[in-house]
Amino acid sequence: MVKKNWARGGRFLALLSTLLLGGCSSRNFWLFDPKGVISQTQLHYMIIDVVVNLAIIVPTGLLIVWAMWRYRKSAGAAYSPHWSHSNAVEAVVWGIPILTVAVLSYYSVKAIYQVNPYKPTVLASAEAALAPRPLEIDVIATDWRWVFIYPAQHIMSVGRLVIPVDTPVKFRLTSTAVTNDFYIPQLVGMIDVMPGMRVRQALMASHAGTYEGFSADYSGAGFSWMNFQTDAVPSAQFQQWTQQVQQAPQHMDYAQFNLFAKPDISVSGKPEYFSDVEPGLFDHVVGEVMNGKVWPTPMDMTENMVKYLQKQRARQAQMQGEL
Amino acid sequence: MLVNLQGPWSPLLGRLAMSQIPYENPILVGTFLLVVALGMAILGAVTYYGKWRYLWREWLTTVDHKKIGIMYILVGLVMLLRGFADAAMIRSQQAMAVGPDSPGYLGALHGYLTPFHFGQIYTAHGVIMILFAATPILVGIMNIIVPLQVGARDMAYPYLNAVGLWLTTAGAALVMTALFIGDFAHAGWFGSLPLNELPYSPGVGVDYWIWAMQLSSVGTTLGGINLIATIVKMRAPGMTWMRLPMFTWASLSANIISLTSFPVLTVSLALLTLDRYLGTHFYTAGMGGNLMLYNDLFWIWGHPEVYFVILPAFGMLSEIIPVFSEKTLFGYTGMVLASFGIAGVSWGVWLHHFFTMGSAPDVNAFYSVSTMLVGIPTGVKVFNWLFTMYRGRLRFDLPMIWACAALFFLLAGGMTGMMNAFTTNDYMVHNSVFVVAHFHLMLLLIVYAIFGAVNFWFPKVFGFKLNERWGKWFFWFFTAGTATVFIPMFTLGFMGMTRRLDYIPYTQWQPLLDAEMAGIVLYSLSAVYLVVQLYVSLRDRALNRVGADPWGTSRSLEWATPSPVPFYNFAYIPHVNARDEWAWRRENGVAQLRHEHYTGIHMPRNTGVPLVLGGLSLGLAFALVWRMWWLAALCLAGIVLLVIMRSFARNTDYTVPPEEVKRVEDAVWAGASVRGADGVRSGAGGLTPAHAPWAPK
Repeated sequence: MVKKNWARGGRFLALLSTLLLGGCSSRNFWLFDPKGVISQTQLHYMIIDVVVNLAIIVPTGLLIVWAMWRYRKSAGAAYSPHWSHSNAVEAVVWGIPILTVAVLSYYSVKAIYQVNPYKPTVLASAEAALAPRPLEIDVIATDWRWVFIYPAQHIMSVGRLVIPVDTPVKFRLTSTAVTNDFYIPQLVGMIDVMPGMRVRQALMASHAGTYEGFSADYSGAGFSWMNFQTDAVPSAQFQQWTQQVQQAPQHMDYAQFNLFAKPDISVSGKPEYFSDVEPGLFDHVVGEVMNGKVWPTPMDMTENMVKYLQKQRARQAQMQGEL
Repeated sequence: MLVNLQGPWSPLLGRLAMSQIPYENPILVGTFLLVVALGMAILGAVTYYGKWRYLWREWLTTVDHKKIGIMYILVGLVMLLRGFADAAMIRSQQAMAVGPDSPGYLGALHGYLTPFHFGQIYTAHGVIMILFAATPILVGIMNIIVPLQVGARDMAYPYLNAVGLWLTTAGAALVMTALFIGDFAHAGWFGSLPLNELPYSPGVGVDYWIWAMQLSSVGTTLGGINLIATIVKMRAPGMTWMRLPMFTWASLSANIISLTSFPVLTVSLALLTLDRYLGTHFYTAGMGGNLMLYNDLFWIWGHPEVYFVILPAFGMLSEIIPVFSEKTLFGYTGMVLASFGIAGVSWGVWLHHFFTMGSAPDVNAFYSVSTMLVGIPTGVKVFNWLFTMYRGRLRFDLPMIWACAALFFLLAGGMTGMMNAFTTNDYMVHNSVFVVAHFHLMLLLIVYAIFGAVNFWFPKVFGFKLNERWGKWFFWFFTAGTATVFIPMFTLGFMGMTRRLDYIPYTQWQPLLDAEMAGIVLYSLSAVYLVVQLYVSLRDRALNRVGADPWGTSRSLEWATPSPVPFYNFAYIPHVNARDEWAWRRENGVAQLRHEHYTGIHMPRNTGVPLVLGGLSLGLAFALVWRMWWLAALCLAGIVLLVIMRSFARNTDYTVPPEEVKRVEDAVWAGASVRGADGVRSGAGGLTPAHAPWAPK
C-alpha cells in the first residue's frame, strides 16, 4: 500500500516536471501529442497563440510586480500623487492590446478555414490525391453508445472506430436523443452531435496507433461511459477488418436500430459489430427524429446505478432471446 | 395535462409524493438534520434574546439600501457555502471514481455519487455560484455603495429594492428546497437541450431550475432598473458624469447589461417552460423545434451576465488601488470608455459558447475576432491600474492585497480567455476542464475583488475594521487552495480531460485529481480562518472603531459621511466639487467642516409588502414545479392583489425632524458611540428611528 502511494506520488512528480519542461513529449498530454493532420494544425496555432500572448502577459506581470516592489511606501521612491494622464502612455496602453488582438485575429481566422470541419483545407491535397473519394463514416450517438456505420462497406461497429492511416476520413454525425460531442483528443477537436441534425467532421491520422475518443458534452446517465477506441491501422489491415466485420452474424436495419437505441449505459465498453446494414440508415434515423421520434429515459434512472444495471442486464438478456 | 408525465399526479399534491423525499440518502438526511439544527439554533437565539421585533422592524421590512445590501450579501454568503459544499463533492467524487477498479458506495458504481446525483450537484454548483452567490453579493455591494458614492439618501425606488431582494431570496430558497424535496436539474447550469426536455429529464429537477432562475432574473432586473435610475437621477449637485467614481461607472455599465439581457433569459426559459408544460416544440429535436435556438437565446443573456458580474469587480479594483497607492486613478476617461467598451462588446460574442456546434467558418471567424476584442478594453484596464501604482506610495493593507492578487488572476484568466477565443484552440478544449479552469480563474478574480471590497468598505458600513492578521491567514490559505485546485485543472485540460465526468476512465489523471482534492482541503482551512477573522473582529470591535475615513487616503464621496453611515446617509446633500470629492476636501482643508443647522429629512417608510411578495413568489414557483395548479393560482392571485393594493398606498414616507438629525450628528462629531432611539445599534446605519417619538407609526 505504502509502496503504491509512493509510486503514485512519484508519477505525480514526474508529471509535474514534464509539465515544467513543456510536457510536449509526454504521451499523457494528449493535446501536445497530436497524431493526425487536423490536431497537428490545431497544436501549431495554439503554440503561436500562446507565444504571442505570453509576449504581452509576462512583461505586464513583471511590471506589476516591479511597481508593487519599487513603489511600496517604505521604499521612499518618487511620488506624483496627481499624475493621472499622459497621452503617450494612453496611446501605448490602447495600442498594445489593439496590436495583439489584430495579430491573433489574423491567425485565428486563418486557422478556422484550415481545420473547418466541413471542408478542412489542410486535407485538400490529400483528398485530391485519393481516388476515387475519401472514406466516409456515419456516426450516430445513441443514449449512450457510439455507432459507426461504414455505408460503402455496409457494416456497423459499436464502441470502436477503425480507420486507415494516412487517408482522409469524412464523417457525417447525428444523435438519436440528446446532444453529444464527438472528440478524439489526439486526432480531431470537438464537434457537437445533435439529434435531428447532421454535422460533419474530417480527420486524417498520420500515425498508426490506438487513440481514445469520447463524448465531451454531458448527455445524461451513461455519459461517463461513452468512450470509444479509435484504431488507426495500415490500409491493408483496414481492408482485412472490414471483410471480417462483413461476416458478423448480426444484421442491422431501422426496426432493429429502434430497439438498439434505447437507453443503455455501456459500462463494459465491449465493441459490437453488425453486417448487412440497411443502406441509408443514417438518413432514416435523422428523418425519424425530425418527425418527432424520441427514445425517452426513465425517471430517476440512476438514482441507484447498481440496481439499474441489474435491470439493464436482464433486459439485454431478454432482447438477445427475442432476436 | 397536455404533456405525458412519468409518474403519478394528483389534483391536491400535484406530482409531489412521499417517494420524492430522499430519506434513503444518508448524505441528504445528514444535511437536512444539520440545516434543521442550525435553523432551530438561530430561531431559538432570536426568541431567547427577544429580537423578533427588532428583526422585523429593522431588517425584514426595511427599505434602507444599506440594510438591503447587507441582506443580499448574507444570502450570497450562505449560498456560497452551499456552492462550496457542492464543489467539494464534485472534487471528491472525481478523485474517488478513477478507473474500473475503483470501489462504489451508496448505489454508485464508482465513488459515492451516481450520475443522477452528480449531474444535479454540478448543476447546482454552477447555478448557485453565479446567480445566488456572486450576483447577490455584487448587487449587495452596489446597493450599499452606489447611493453613497453619488450622494443620495437611498435608491431611487426603495420599495422596489426590497422586492428585488426578496425575489432573489425566494429563488435561493427554491434551490435549497430542491435538495430535500424532489431533485434538481442535471444538465448543467446553462442547460443542455434537448436533454432538458420532458422525455430526457422527466423529473421536477429542470422545473426547479427554471423557476429559480426566473425568480432571480426578475429580482436582478428590478435591481438593475433601480441602480440605473439612482445613478442617472439621484446624483448630488455638482456630481457631473465625469466626476462619477469608477465603481459607480462600473455599476452603471453592468446594470445596463443586466437590464437589456435578463429579459432574454426570461424568454428563453419561458419557451422551455412551454415545451415542458404545454407540449410545444420550441427546442425539441423533432416537430420543427430547434435546440440551437436555445443556445443562442441563453447565451445572448449568458455572456453579458458574465460581464455583469465582472464589471463591478473591475470597479472595486479601480476604487481600492488608488486609495492604497495614495494617488489618483490613472486614465479615468480611458477607464470609463473601457467599461462601456466591455459592456458593448458583451452583446456580440455569445456564439463563442458554442463554437463547436458546427457553424460555418465565416460565422466562427466573426465571433472569434469579436471575442478577442474584449481583450482590448480589459488590457487597457490592467495597464491603467499598473500606471496608477506607478509613482505611488503603495500600502499593502488587506483590501490592497486582495486587489493585487486579482490583477494576476486577470492576467492568467485573460491569457487563457484569449486562447479560448482562438477558435481552433476552442475545438480542442471546448468542453474540457481547461475551459472550466479558465472561467473559474475569472470568477476568482471577482471573488478576490469582492474580498478586497468587503475589507475595504466594511468599516464604512459597520464602523470598525476587520482584523488584519487573521485576514492575511485567510488570504494565503485561500490563494494556496486556488493554486492547488486550478493549476492541476489546467494541466488536466491539456491531458484531454473533459468536464462533468462522474466516472473517470483514465487512471493517468488520478494524481492531478488528488492534487485538486488537496486544494479543496486548503480552501476548507481558509474558510476556518475567515470565520476566525470575523469572530475576532467582532469581539474586538471596540478597539477598532473608525471615523468617517478609516484608511486616511480615501478619495470618493462615501467616505465623507460617518461610519457606520446614519440611516439618512448625509445630514445635508453634499455639494460635489471634484472627481475625487473626499480627496479634494481633504487637500483643501474642508473635510472637517460641518453644518450648524439641520433641516428635516424626507425618508421612505418601512413596509412588509416585499417580504410577503417574496413568500408568495416562492409559493407560486414551488406550486408550478410540482404542478399543484390550485396553489399556483392562489399565490398568483395573492401577488396581483398585493401589488394593486400597494399601488394605492399613500402613507409611504415620513420626515425625520431636524432635532433628531442634530442629535445624531452631534453625537457622531463628539465621537460618542451613538445608539438609536430604542437603544439598539444595528449593523448598517448604526442609528435606527424605530421607536423615536417622531418615528412613523
